[in-house]
Amino acid sequence: MTQSSTTSNPATVRPKFSFDGLLRKNAIAIVAVLLIVLVTLGNPAFLSFFNIANMLSQWAPAGLMAIGMTYVIIVGGFDLSVAATFSFAAVMAAMVGQTMPPSVAFVAAIAVGAAVGAVNGALVAKLKVNPFIATVGTGFIVTGLTFVLTGNVAFMVSDPGFSWLGANRIAGVPYSGILLIVSLVVGGVVLARTYYGHVIYAVGGNAEASHLTGLRVPLIEGSTYLLLGALTGIAGFISASQLSSAQANMDPNIMFDVLTVVIVGGTPLGGGIGSIGRTAIGLVIIATISNGFVLLGISPYYQNIIKGVLIVGALVLESVVNRKNAAS
Amino acid sequence: MNTTSTLSAYKAGPPLLSVHGLHKRFPGVHALKGVDFDLLAGEVHSLVGENGAGKSTLIKMITGALHPDEGAVKLAGTRVEELGAHERRARGVNAIYQELNIVPAMSAAANVFLDAPPMRGPFLDRKAANTQFEDLCARLEVSIPAQAPARSLSIADRQMIEIMRALSRDAQILIMDEPTATLGPSERQKLYGVIEGLRAEGKGIIFISHDLGEVLDISDRITVMRNGAVVDKGPRSGWTRERMVHAMVGEARGTLEPRAAETLGGEVLRIEGLALPGRLSDVSLAVRKGEILGIAGLVGAGRSELLRSLAGLEPTARADAFAIDGQVLPALPASVRQAIGAGIVLVPEDRKNEGFVPLMDGDSNVALSDLGSVTRHSFVDRKARHDLARGVAKAVGFAPERLSTPVRNLSGGNQQKLVIGKWLHIGPKVLLLDEPTRGVDIGAKADLYRAIRDLTKDGLSVILVSSELEEVLEHSDRIAVLTGHTITETLDRKDATMERVLSLIFAQKEAS
Repeated sequence: MTQSSTTSNPATVRPKFSFDGLLRKNAIAIVAVLLIVLVTLGNPAFLSFFNIANMLSQWAPAGLMAIGMTYVIIVGGFDLSVAATFSFAAVMAAMVGQTMPPSVAFVAAIAVGAAVGAVNGALVAKLKVNPFIATVGTGFIVTGLTFVLTGNVAFMVSDPGFSWLGANRIAGVPYSGILLIVSLVVGGVVLARTYYGHVIYAVGGNAEASHLTGLRVPLIEGSTYLLLGALTGIAGFISASQLSSAQANMDPNIMFDVLTVVIVGGTPLGGGIGSIGRTAIGLVIIATISNGFVLLGISPYYQNIIKGVLIVGALVLESVVNRKNAAS
Repeated sequence: MNTTSTLSAYKAGPPLLSVHGLHKRFPGVHALKGVDFDLLAGEVHSLVGENGAGKSTLIKMITGALHPDEGAVKLAGTRVEELGAHERRARGVNAIYQELNIVPAMSAAANVFLDAPPMRGPFLDRKAANTQFEDLCARLEVSIPAQAPARSLSIADRQMIEIMRALSRDAQILIMDEPTATLGPSERQKLYGVIEGLRAEGKGIIFISHDLGEVLDISDRITVMRNGAVVDKGPRSGWTRERMVHAMVGEARGTLEPRAAETLGGEVLRIEGLALPGRLSDVSLAVRKGEILGIAGLVGAGRSELLRSLAGLEPTARADAFAIDGQVLPALPASVRQAIGAGIVLVPEDRKNEGFVPLMDGDSNVALSDLGSVTRHSFVDRKARHDLARGVAKAVGFAPERLSTPVRNLSGGNQQKLVIGKWLHIGPKVLLLDEPTRGVDIGAKADLYRAIRDLTKDGLSVILVSSELEEVLEHSDRIAVLTGHTITETLDRKDATMERVLSLIFAQKEAS
C-alpha cells in the first residue's frame, strides 16, 4: 500500500486486535510466569532464596553458552559443536588446574573454547561451509581430541582455589550465578545498544545488503562463533570448578539445553531476530521445569516430553505469528 | 503491434470470467471497494494501477487464494469459491507471478509438468514428457533444451516454462503479473508474439504491467484501478498514455519537467580500457561533476557488470587507467570498502535482496553505511541516528515519520529512497544506479528522479542503468551505448533520440 493513511487508520482498528497483539507479543513471558505460579503452588520452596541461588549456579554454564548461541543464531548461524567444546574446556581446565594456579586453568579453558570458536567462525564465515555441517564436523574432532588427550579418565583437582568460582558464595549468592546475571545484562546491552550488536542484526537480517553497504560481513559473522567458543570455555571451567573434576564426557545433553533455552525464548533460527532478554526468559522456563519436576516429585522422564512440546510449541507460535503478520 | 491489436477488436461470446461488486477488507484497509471486471475469450485485458491500488488483491480473488467479503467471482458461470484449487486449474485459471514458481535444480521439462508429469503405470514417462515439451516449444515458437536445469535458463525462458505449464493444463485464462519487468527489449518482443498467439487460440489473458507503452500496444481492453476501485475502463481504441496516467494517479503528479541543460563541473571519474573477462572489454567513460550519465544497452550487455566493476564487486575486472577527481588510482576498487573509500557507491539492481535489511527500520538502514558516525564509545546513539536519518529523508523526499517502520513494509519507491539515502550522508562522489525504478509506481518514479536531480545540483555525479530506455533518455545528460561488450558511442542528450540509440544498440548486435 502506498498511502500510509489508508493502512494505519486507527479508527478502523478494533481494540480487541491490540489486546490480541499484546498476548501474542508476550506469550513466552506469560508462559514463564504461569509455570512459576504453578510450580510455586505445588511447592512454595521453589521461590525460596536458597533454591533460586542453587538454580542460578546450576544453570550458569548453559546460560552463558545460551548467550553466545543467541549471538550466533541472530547473525544467521548455528553451532552444534558446543557440547564437545564444553567438555574439552572442562578437561583442559582440570588438567591445567592439577599443576598450575586456578587463574591459569581459567585462561586455558577460555583459550581452547575460543580456538574452537575461531575455527568454526573461519569455516562458516570465511570458507562459507554450511554451519550445521561445519560444526558437526568440528564437534567430532574436538570430542575425539578430548578422549585422545585424557583416555577417558577423570581429572580431580584438590586445589580449593580451583572450586572458588564454581562452589563459593557471597551472602549466599553463588559467584557463578552472579557471573551469569552480569553476563546476561552485559550481553543484552551489547546486542541491543552497541555498534557490534547493530551490525549483527544487520548481517543476520540481510548479509548481501550488509556486504554491499561496506560491512565486514565475514568478520562480524565469524566473531560470534569466537564469542560463543570463549563463553563455552568459561562454562566448561565453571562446571569443572563446581565438581572439582572433569572428564571427556561431561554433559553431552548441554547442547540441547542451550538450544532449547534460545529457541523457546523466541530467537528463531534464520537470523536477524531475537534478543538476550528472550533468551533470559527461555532460561527461566527451562530452569523452572527442570527444578519443578524435582520439587514436585514428578518422574524426570516426563521432562524430555515437556521440553520437546515447548520447542515445537515455540516454533508453531513463531510460524503462526509470522503468518498473521504477513496477512495484515 | 498496433495493427494486430486493433484487428482483434473484441469478440462476442460469454465471458470466461466475470467479477461483480467485489469487496475485501483487511484490518485497517478497505482493499477492494466494489470491483467489477470481466474477461472474454480471445482478448488481452490489461489491469493497470499503482502498487497498492488493489490489483494483486483482485488477482488473488480470481485465483481463489483469497475469498471476497462481498460480491462474486464466476468462472464460466460458477462461483470460484465453490471450486477447489485443482478444479480451478481444470477450469483453466493460471497465474504467472513475477516471482516465478520454478524448481531450480529440476530440468526444464520436469518444471513444465511439475504437478502432473506424464506417467506410464507407476513410473514417470520421460519420453512422453520430452515429446510434449517439444510440442509446447513448437507451439510457442521457442527453443529451450528439455533437460537443461531450470537454474541455467534465462529469466525469459523460465517465464516461458510457466506459460508452457499453463498451456499443458489447457488453461483458458492466463494471468500475467508484470511479465516483462525483468525482460530486455528483444525478449519482450518474443513474449508479445507468444501472447498474440495465445489470443488467436482463444485464450483470455489478464495482463498487468507498469509499462504503459506495452499496455497500449498489446491490449484489447484496459481497466485502471486506484485505491481499491476501478476508476476507468474501456476498449483500447479510446485510450492514450495521458488518460491512463491521469486515471492512475488522479492528478498530474506523474509528470516531470524535462531536465534542463545543466552546467557541469570538472571530471570526477575517468575509466579507460576497463575489461571484465567474458563480459566487458575496452570500456572507457568519463563523468563530470553533477552529471547524469545514462548507460543504454540490452539486458545481458554487461550494464550491471560495468557498475559492479566500479563498485568493487568484480575482482577480475581490470582497467588501464582509473582516476577520481583527476587523481590517478593504481587499480579499480578491489572491495566494496575500497570503492566507498574512493567515493563510489552502488544502488544494486536487486533491491529486495541486496539493498536493505528488511526487518530493520529506516533509521537503522540509513545509518548502516556509516554507523561509526552515530556511535559514541561503541554505543549507538539512537537520537543521533534518527537525526541523521531525518536529514537524509528530507534530501530524498521520504516522509520522516515513516522512518520507524521496518523497511520491508514500505512500498518499492520508498524503499529505494532509503537505499539511495543511506549513501548520501557519507558524501559520495559517484552514485551508481542499477535499475533504480524497477517495481516503483509512476508517481514515486517522478519523486525518485526529482530527488536524484536535486542531488546532482549539489555536485553528485550519477551513472544510471535502466531497462526503461525512455527513462535513460529523459534523465541523462549524456547517453553511453553499451553493446558487444563495449561502449560504442556516447551521445549528448540533444542528439540522443530513441531511434538513434536503438539503431546503435542493434547495429552493433547485428555486426558482431
